[in-house]
Order: sequence, then C-alpha cells, then structure tokens
Amino acid sequence: MKPSDSIKLFGGLLDLPILDKDGRYCGIVDDIELDEKAKGPPTIAYLLVGPGAYRGRLPAWAMRLVAVFAGTRITRVTWDAIAHIDSCVKLTGTADSYELHRCENRARSYIPKWGAM
Amino acid sequence: MNLLELTLGIMTAVGGFVDISELVFAAQAGSKFHYALMWVFAFATVGIMVFGEMSGRVAAIAKQPVFNLMRHRLGLKLGLVTLLASLISNLITCAAEIGGLAIILHLLTGAGYMLMALASVAVLIATIWVLPFKWIERAYGLLGLFMVVFAVALVKIHPPWADIAAGLVPQIPSGLSTKEMVSFAYFTVAIISAVMFPYEAYFYSSGAIEEKWGPKDLVINRLTCVVGFGLGSLLAISILASSAQLFGPANIDPELPGSAALQAAVPLGRLGLLLALLGMLFAVAGAAVETCMANAYSAAQFFGWEWGRQRKPWEAPRFTIAWIGIMLLGLAIILTGIDPMKLVEYAVLFSILVLPLTYLPLLLLARDPDFMREHRNGLLANVLGWTYFVVILVAAIAAVPLFILTSGGQT
Repeated sequence: MKPSDSIKLFGGLLDLPILDKDGRYCGIVDDIELDEKAKGPPTIAYLLVGPGAYRGRLPAWAMRLVAVFAGTRITRVTWDAIAHIDSCVKLTGTADSYELHRCENRARSYIPKWGAM
Repeated sequence: MNLLELTLGIMTAVGGFVDISELVFAAQAGSKFHYALMWVFAFATVGIMVFGEMSGRVAAIAKQPVFNLMRHRLGLKLGLVTLLASLISNLITCAAEIGGLAIILHLLTGAGYMLMALASVAVLIATIWVLPFKWIERAYGLLGLFMVVFAVALVKIHPPWADIAAGLVPQIPSGLSTKEMVSFAYFTVAIISAVMFPYEAYFYSSGAIEEKWGPKDLVINRLTCVVGFGLGSLLAISILASSAQLFGPANIDPELPGSAALQAAVPLGRLGLLLALLGMLFAVAGAAVETCMANAYSAAQFFGWEWGRQRKPWEAPRFTIAWIGIMLLGLAIILTGIDPMKLVEYAVLFSILVLPLTYLPLLLLARDPDFMREHRNGLLANVLGWTYFVVILVAAIAAVPLFILTSGGQT
C-alpha cells in the first residue's frame, strides 16, 4: 500500500508500528490528525505519536493515569514522510529527523555502554 | 536446514514447559491422581504446538511480533487491558521462577534462600546483558536438557507402561468424591494454563523476529514446535508418571520442587539427584529469562520502542530498562518473603485468565489473508485453533471458582 492509495483510514493505520528508513522502531500510530482546511474530502495531515495522542481514545480516568506515568507528549509526523504502509508504517527519513527518538535518546544516556557481546 | 535453529524451540520447550509450575503441578498431579491427568498434558501440548506454530508463522510472514499486531487488531483500549494483564501474569510467573531458582540453589549449595535469590537475579541479569539472543537461547536450552534424567529415571523404575498408555486417553477417574472431583477439575485447568503460558507465544514470536525469520523458515518453525514442545511435554509427563509410581502409593504430596528431584534419586542415586537439580536449575533459569524478556518484548512492541537482544543493550535503551526493571521487581516480590509456591498458584491462575486475550488475536491474524497471504491458516490450523480457543475460554471462566473452591489445589 502506498500513501496515495485509498485506505480504510482508521482500521488500516491506527496502532500500526512505525519504522524509520533504517528499520528502527520509532513509535506507534497513536492517532491521526486530519487537514480540516483542505477542500474536498478530508485528508490526513499528520500521524500523532506519543501518549498525549491517547486523549480521545481512552476514558478520562485512564488518560489521567497515562499522563502521570508517561506524560502527554505528542510528536506529529507529516503524511508525506510516509514511504510505505503494510504491517507497519515505513518512513522516508530517520527517527531523529522527525524527533521520534527523543525518549530513546534520553533513556540511552542512563545505560552503560560496555560489557555486551 | 540449520539444525541449530531448533534450539529456539528446545529452549522454549524445556524452559517454558518444564518451569517451576510444570514441576510442581506434574508432580502433584501424579501423586494425587496417578496417571489420570496425563492426557491433559498431551492435550495442552498440542494446543501450545498449534499456537506456537501460528506465532512463529505470523512473525516470519508479517515480520511483526505478536504484540505489535495484537494492538493493531484489538485497538488501544482492549490492547492496553491485554498488555496490563499479561504484564502482571508474566511478572508473577517471573517472581515464581526466581523463587524456584533460589530453592534449587539452596538445595544444591546449602546457602540461604534470600541470598540465593539475589545471586540468581545477578547472574540472570549479567547473562542477558552480556550474551546475544542466540547464546542466551543456546546456553539455557542445552543445559536444561539435563532434565532428560527424569525420563531415564522413569524407565529405570519399570513403571506399568500399560497404565501410562491408558493415562493418555481422556478420562475422569471413577469413584472420586465431589471434593476430589473439584480438585481434579482444578488440576486440569492449572495444567492447561501451565503448559500454554502466554509468555511462551510472546517470547517465541519475538525470538523469530530477533533471528530474522522469513518464509524459508516456516519448516523450521513447524519442526521446532512439534519436536521442541513435544520433548518438553515428554519430560513433564515423565515427572508425572514417576510421581504416580513413587509418591502416590506413599501418600506423599510433592509440593516443593525439591521433591521432584527425589524421583531421579530413587533409581539413579546421588548422580541422578545432582543431574535432576542441575536440569531443574537451568530449565527454571531459562523460564525466568523468558518471562522477564517476554514482558519487556510486550511493552516495547506495544509502545513502539526499539527492542531486541540481538542489539546491544544501549541500542534499545527503554527495552533494556524494562527487562532489568522486571527482573528486579520479581526479586523484590521474592524478598517480601512470600511463599514461591503460592506465587506458582497465582501465576497459573492469572495466566489462564490472560490466555483467551492472547490467543484470539493471534488466531485472527494467522488466518488473515491481508497479512499472511498464501501462508494463512489452513483448515487444520483453523479447526485446531478455534477448538483450543473454546477450551481455554471455558478453562478461564472456570479458573477462579475452582481456585477458590480448592484453595489453590490444596484441598
């Protein structure tokens, strides 16, 4: 499937894993933002990635728990950054270029870089 | 075909099959009901073969592990419920395995139980940190094969083979009181749960991705499930049969894992005892690694983190923090002083509740032509898959009442 193909929007995209051009996991399609200003049928503007994007998909009490444990960060990935969609969403660039690896990079700073084969 | 690939299945079979729950429930089932529960092991083994094969096939074809696709299929809400339930179930199981390891090490060395729990976790963390996935799999998988001593011990005590063969036929023993009947039903559910633990599917499919399986590996996948899980089941059945022969007539209730080791000591002496304890040690250690990593895999796949032990720990940092955290949480549970045998009972109870949520999306994915194309389920896989799904659904519904009625199999 290509981004230009017509798709069953929510069933096809929501909750798919996202991989960057190097095959590194960089999140899940947590929600979708439509371009409301576009003329004609609505089009997808962004993929929303991060726990903040669960709002609207979870009950309010669950969202409060998510906010406490994981925060409310959202990263927007533009629709034209998508190279391919099948069992995952493949991006045209690297995770860092879309700021999708901020948490991974922060966590990496706590991990000693020795001893592993 | 690379024969070494089969070790993935052997580890899952030995480490997953003959874990602490298997040891305890197989020995107790033999002691309480002689050979009458043997068919449940055989029946559940076919179940884990069916779902194990599906999880490996989905990973090889869709190139995504079970939890990634599960969230896509179930959606965020139900996916989160499944994730939380399986995290709790696997954490309890991991803690039980750490407790089991500490007991076995205490028996081997005479050192204190808590000290051995600490030492076990230190060694397990060091192993996962240092070794790449293939080596972890091979080390625990091959060393766990010391468990074969249980099969040798069974042959040496010259059991009644006709009775053992009869035990493989589905049956409910006659002449049981109502209380005994309820206990029999509880053991049936507990054995199905222990054999079909959900972490096995998570670990197995994630391992297939770690090893970059593709369509050419489907034959290995099938062989691994049949041979590996079949071997694990034979070992568990050997423990049950030896217990029926040695403990049943003496009215011994082999509640502790150390009792199971005595089955090898009776016919094979000190060497048998040592080999049995070593086999149990590595099999339980393998299961502890699997449960811990299965939780880290699940969380990482659900939230889209970098994951995998083919990568260096700092290349998948959140995954690394997750598996270390889970191992330490498991240790913390043991250090509260809780009886690990109680944890085994809770692990089995929680697991059966999670099983339908785990295996339904897997079944739906494996038969989905969009994902699986020509490799989707055939008629046999569909019939077996749905049959086992109904069985685990009924078992999940019955589990809590049976657990309460029997006080976790104690009455």
